[in-house]
Amino acid sequence: LSSKRTKRRDWTKLIYSSNTTPADIVRGSTTADDQPDEDDDLFTVKKATDDAEALDRTKDLVPVDELKQWEDEEVLDSIRHLFITGGDDVGDEA
Amino acid sequence: MTQANGLQFSGHQYLRHRLVLSILSGKALKIDKIRPDDKNPGLRDYEVSLLRLVEKVMNGTVIEISLTGTAILVKPGIIAGGPITHDCPLSRSIGYFLEPLIMLAPFSKKPFNLTLRGITTDDKDLSADLLRTVTLPHLEVFGISDGLELRIKKRGSPPLGGGEVQFLCPVVKQVKTLNFVEPGKIKRIRGIAHAVRVSPQFSNRMIEASRSVLNRYIPDIYLYSDVYKGEDSGKSPGYALTLLAESTTSAIHCSEVVSQPGVAPEDIAIQASRALLREIQRGGCVDERHQTLVLLMMVLGSEDVGRVRMAEPTERTIQFLRDVKIAFATSFKITPVDASSEGPAQLLYSCYGTGYVNTNRSLA
Repeated sequence: LSSKRTKRRDWTKLIYSSNTTPADIVRGSTTADDQPDEDDDLFTVKKATDDAEALDRTKDLVPVDELKQWEDEEVLDSIRHLFITGGDDVGDEA
Repeated sequence: MTQANGLQFSGHQYLRHRLVLSILSGKALKIDKIRPDDKNPGLRDYEVSLLRLVEKVMNGTVIEISLTGTAILVKPGIIAGGPITHDCPLSRSIGYFLEPLIMLAPFSKKPFNLTLRGITTDDKDLSADLLRTVTLPHLEVFGISDGLELRIKKRGSPPLGGGEVQFLCPVVKQVKTLNFVEPGKIKRIRGIAHAVRVSPQFSNRMIEASRSVLNRYIPDIYLYSDVYKGEDSGKSPGYALTLLAESTTSAIHCSEVVSQPGVAPEDIAIQASRALLREIQRGGCVDERHQTLVLLMMVLGSEDVGRVRMAEPTERTIQFLRDVKIAFATSFKITPVDASSEGPAQLLYSCYGTGYVNTNRSLA
């Protein structure tokens, strides 16, 4: 399903002790130059990647491409176990 | 970055949650470099309007805006609350203004009775429907419930708006510690289809199309066609479908798609339905757009460990967590929930509450 991110990520570290911008963290790019500086996380240099038109918005745009996959029967069936009617034999431990 | 007695940030982004953190922590907020290189530098009209609104709900707050508008200084006073009316500019919807105020309202001196006028639904911020059906239940889990209400008196679509909502929020002394780690299973789906100043058939067409996607999962689906007529329907035409899925443990996932020119109501509805499925697939106990609200309330919770299970943080959430650490010196521990299960990663966020007590609250 979403095997693109198999590597386990240390979110606590990414968020609190690296200079990686939020956008880069979400995109999953952790290139060498933004490796965390272990001992001086107090002095994070905020590189302002300031796009003046970037809006402080709560609702992100619906990614139309990503929604396309929901045309597929298999994908539609893959989340059946998340509903009460879906039986509890499949997948998730919830 | 941090001064001993204040918060200092740069850039126009994240203004809303930084204001909230400043007010709740009682630390002065200084933001510089607000669009310094833009053709039209400084604060936008809606940001100025938000600052004015904050001034109205607060008492003894000093807000200074530099001549160029590229820097602001906020010295927070106390949250006063009470009856307030504000006309929101048409450049942003009511949600833009209400989202930060919802974070402040429970810690007010007097209960909020806030009337906002403007656009009730757009594609950028939480609509009045989402705020009412999803945001408010997220507050209830923290013990903020009696008298919590959002009334949609008039709807207003962009560009001309004309909508009006009334937000009522009780005052609490302290918020409860959250322990929400069981996502449960989806037991029902609810939806609101509204259409103003267009054919009322549009909402029925949306409902039908949405059912064609969702009916396969559960029988308990109720999609409501919300009709506003005459004056109450605002000044511009528009329609939208708001969907929410509720689990056996009351976890709520939601989606919403707003009308776009040249797109049929059916397509809007199908987009919204698929977006809901995507949201359900991402899982967790908290809707993606409400991560920051829930995390903030956890920070303010009583001195105990609060835990919540959610999907991966969004960009906004990541910056929010960093700013929370600066304002409250509280950091979260974020660990994966059992990696053996398939599907998107689930994370457990835990933190030790600061035991925030509402000192604004008037006694008796």
